Amino acid sequence: MKTINLVVDDKTITVPEGTNIFQASLDNGIYIPGLCYHPKLSQFGGCRLCMVEVTERRTAHRFACAHPVSEGMIVKVNTPKVVRYRRSVMEYLLAHHELSCPTCDKAGECSLQDITHELMLSPSRFNAVRMNAPVVRDNPILELNRNRCVLCGRCVSACKEIEGVGAIDFQKRGIKTYVGTAFDKPLDCSFCGGCLAVCPTGSWQDRTLEFRGRPWEFKKTQTICPYCAVGCTIVLNTKSGSVRRVTSDDYIGINEGNLCIKGRFGHEFIHSAERLKTPLIKKDGAFHPSSWDDALEYISKRFQQIINEHGGKAIGGIGSEKCTNEDNYLFQKFCRSVLRTNTIDNLSNLRSPSLNSLMYESVIRGIASTSLKEIEHANTLFFFGTDMTEAHPVAGTMARKAIRMNNASLIIANIRTISFSGTAKNDIRLTYSFGSQIPFIHALIKIIIDEKLIDLKKAESSISNFHELPLAFDTFSVKEASQVTGISEEMMRTTARLLTKSGNCCIVCGRDVEEDPLSRDTIKALMNLCVLMNASSPDTGHSKASLLFSRSHNNSQGVNDMGVVPEFFPGYSTTSDVSNRENIEKQWGVKFSDDIFMRESKNIFELARNGALKGLYIMGENPLVSYPNGKEVLEAFQKTGFIVVQDVFLTETAQLADVVLPTVTFAEKEGTFTNMGMTVQRLNKIIQPSGVDAKPDWQIICEFAKKMGYSYSYASPKDILSEIESVVPIYSGINYDRLKRKEFYWASSVSGSRNKSAKYLLNIVQPESLEIKQNKDFPFVLLTGVSLNHQGTFSRYSNALVSVSPECFAEMNRKDAQKMNIHDGDAVVIESSQNKVTLKAKVTGKSPEGIVFVSEDYEWIPINLVRTGVYTPVKIYKETGQI
Amino acid sequence: MNTTNEKSIQGEAIDLSKVEKAVEKYKNVKGALIPILQMVQAEIGYLPAPAIDLISERLNISASEIVGVATFYAQFHLVPRGQHIIKVCCGTACHVKGAKKIAEKLSKTLDVSLGMTTKDKVFTLEEVACLGACSLAPVMMVDENVHGKLASDTVADVIKEIKESGFSQ
Repeated sequence: MKTINLVVDDKTITVPEGTNIFQASLDNGIYIPGLCYHPKLSQFGGCRLCMVEVTERRTAHRFACAHPVSEGMIVKVNTPKVVRYRRSVMEYLLAHHELSCPTCDKAGECSLQDITHELMLSPSRFNAVRMNAPVVRDNPILELNRNRCVLCGRCVSACKEIEGVGAIDFQKRGIKTYVGTAFDKPLDCSFCGGCLAVCPTGSWQDRTLEFRGRPWEFKKTQTICPYCAVGCTIVLNTKSGSVRRVTSDDYIGINEGNLCIKGRFGHEFIHSAERLKTPLIKKDGAFHPSSWDDALEYISKRFQQIINEHGGKAIGGIGSEKCTNEDNYLFQKFCRSVLRTNTIDNLSNLRSPSLNSLMYESVIRGIASTSLKEIEHANTLFFFGTDMTEAHPVAGTMARKAIRMNNASLIIANIRTISFSGTAKNDIRLTYSFGSQIPFIHALIKIIIDEKLIDLKKAESSISNFHELPLAFDTFSVKEASQVTGISEEMMRTTARLLTKSGNCCIVCGRDVEEDPLSRDTIKALMNLCVLMNASSPDTGHSKASLLFSRSHNNSQGVNDMGVVPEFFPGYSTTSDVSNRENIEKQWGVKFSDDIFMRESKNIFELARNGALKGLYIMGENPLVSYPNGKEVLEAFQKTGFIVVQDVFLTETAQLADVVLPTVTFAEKEGTFTNMGMTVQRLNKIIQPSGVDAKPDWQIICEFAKKMGYSYSYASPKDILSEIESVVPIYSGINYDRLKRKEFYWASSVSGSRNKSAKYLLNIVQPESLEIKQNKDFPFVLLTGVSLNHQGTFSRYSNALVSVSPECFAEMNRKDAQKMNIHDGDAVVIESSQNKVTLKAKVTGKSPEGIVFVSEDYEWIPINLVRTGVYTPVKIYKETGQI
Repeated sequence: MNTTNEKSIQGEAIDLSKVEKAVEKYKNVKGALIPILQMVQAEIGYLPAPAIDLISERLNISASEIVGVATFYAQFHLVPRGQHIIKVCCGTACHVKGAKKIAEKLSKTLDVSLGMTTKDKVFTLEEVACLGACSLAPVMMVDENVHGKLASDTVADVIKEIKESGFSQ
């Protein structure tokens, strides 16, 4: 990159070519006042405040945000002329500003206020004219006060460029210009709060804050968001021990200050009155509050009794996708070494059982993405079976950045039509027919080979079993695949060409693929595609194609890394391997009995249903509503004699428990989360739990162990992490203190140690499709997915999220709806062989015919009690119809 | 989006096939928003909300942005307009000669506020900056006809005349 030297206010600085003066000064700690320029957004040049004196060949006045640097340029920020100009611009801006600083939540962090202050602007030469525009409060989260607006355009750009929504724009012109929606309709957007974050004045307000504190009173502490698997850094603003609002910082975290509605506004659950306050013990069908000591005494006695009578194998444990790595590590250590059972699992592994081993394989083979940032650096993005907008909204903004900055191409393939707003030049949206994922990927591979889109000679030399490829693909025809998938041959060819075009390609494999019954083969096929692309790429040390696996929750990756699965010890070392077992025995100072690692073909719920489990220990999960077969879970619980649940709220699962232990939320504990890009990030303890007698999960486990006669001498999660560092090879080198400054990327350290000269290997699978048996009584297939506004138990107790999105809809195809005379908003019953729910219908063109889509993240809608598996045959009828 | 008929806020049926035609014509043209809006307005007379929603969906441009563009230019109208457009000049010369009074009188006579259309959809009353006929100040234009040297007590007669001439049919 070419660099430019220039002098700003007598300081010589060096910046990359093409930078504007404003950014150059900002990067070098020189302050230029400005309201409309924002490093994340495109240049606007509207506020006219950043005027500086520039000497190139001659001396002139330029706007710093709109003028690129040039070699030898001399910039003066504060000449008398410039200051005089700046003062008069501010006077105009303030002439009709509301100046309601004492009652404005922004006061104290308001750029307009700061600049007024520093230019000592008082009194004005003009008579102030107030606009008296009514304050727009048409939604529960954001408030727009146009009397404070300076029309800098930041919110308009943020909405369009970062979130891709464009819900607001400048309306009218001249003196009448204002920021608003079309026809002044209520704001209908994703409520990411990007407008609020970039607003330099108090025009946009966070209604979840509303006069509950002033910016200078807040203690601001960064931590990691507790919702999805992206792992955004959020900044909690606290006052007198309570969280008042969430903000973001453009310069910390992988999210660069971008958040989604859940991250920015879904914090109210921390202080929910519904939180569990004390341990509860069920007696005669009703819960009674108890002390910690009594509860733990009771649990340990009951568990000891089960161990004595039936052996440790009769106890099952479910770890949490939401708890920290330390909690989960200790959980599995406790289950394995104290309870002496290997019947432990987590919901992520239960839902997609083949993912862990394939994910780890892809890391070892250097196919997996080493960080979520690879989305930003991609030149081609391929979202396969994932709904980025709903599932990982901030990863979606990273994708939009790639589109904006690298002119990246975008390919989205899914069963349903997915909304993703982007402005990619090459934007391909594919919908493949149900169950035809593997033929689709195979067709892409076949096209790549047939059209020689990659360097086949190079691929042949670097793939050891390349000769198997022609054999396997001999009988496969793209034409047939086109018929099976419902995607035209031409589209598939275009897709294959885009995938293989020069530059990096980032493939995101989504939940719809991972949880499919054919997931194992689909992911293998996808890995083959990556192997072909990587093997033929020139040796630049960086792999061309990288694969990113979607995870659902904040620590779905971590819970698996920590080995809360029956197949693996922490760090994906198999439990069936005796040497791994001995190694762990040595590290933990225990001796496992031989029979506990016997391979079970049944999962934990099936075992419980068969009566094999007498006790169940569930940490921070609500499987009754989050496992795709709720009835099975219910039966499993009924068969299990004794259930202990530790959670923040009294969830549906906790209600069925015998003992419930209250735990703390993310804001009240320390530890680490691992995101779906295998990046480990550290949480900070921000407040003490107030009004609840709750403890962090790791501490509960420690005390539990003590009652069981074992001593765990961990003083804090730091101690647990240092044990993880020595026991878990993939986390070796992690340091708790260093995490405060820098994230830890375990995938890059693992794939970095890979032998680069090792040959690639293809893992060829059969291109089979999934057949869903047509069922006369239940003609529809129920498909579930994620929701932007809700996730897990926390969102349900966050008023802002519930008020934005109070209702779960059944999305169905327009043609299906017409046949049954169902209209938008009609109450419809979705009934399977097991159960039924009544929901409001949403008639869209998004779902293909024969498929009804329901989000499963509205926890109070028991959709998973209707489901009998990943795809459930159901029937649909109007509520008033058949009942 | 239903492409046949949609009702506008005003409650009248709008033929969206005309919008489809406009979108279709500029399908592969970059930056064709303004010509599309012009074509739709030429067909329907104004830009109704359902038409804007449809254009938004087809062009993948948010409705707010389209309305932002439409409200920026004086040539686009988001509410239905009358058969006859009355433009009262409020330029300097006319202002001095009492254009304000003329406008007020017209507004009273027609029972419509400035910038709006009469209930019977016959007249739309608008203020304009300068018609370039300062020698005739105060002046107004009804469609293409210029009426000059108006006075607040005679302007009602002009309207009456227009109505009576059957010109309004």
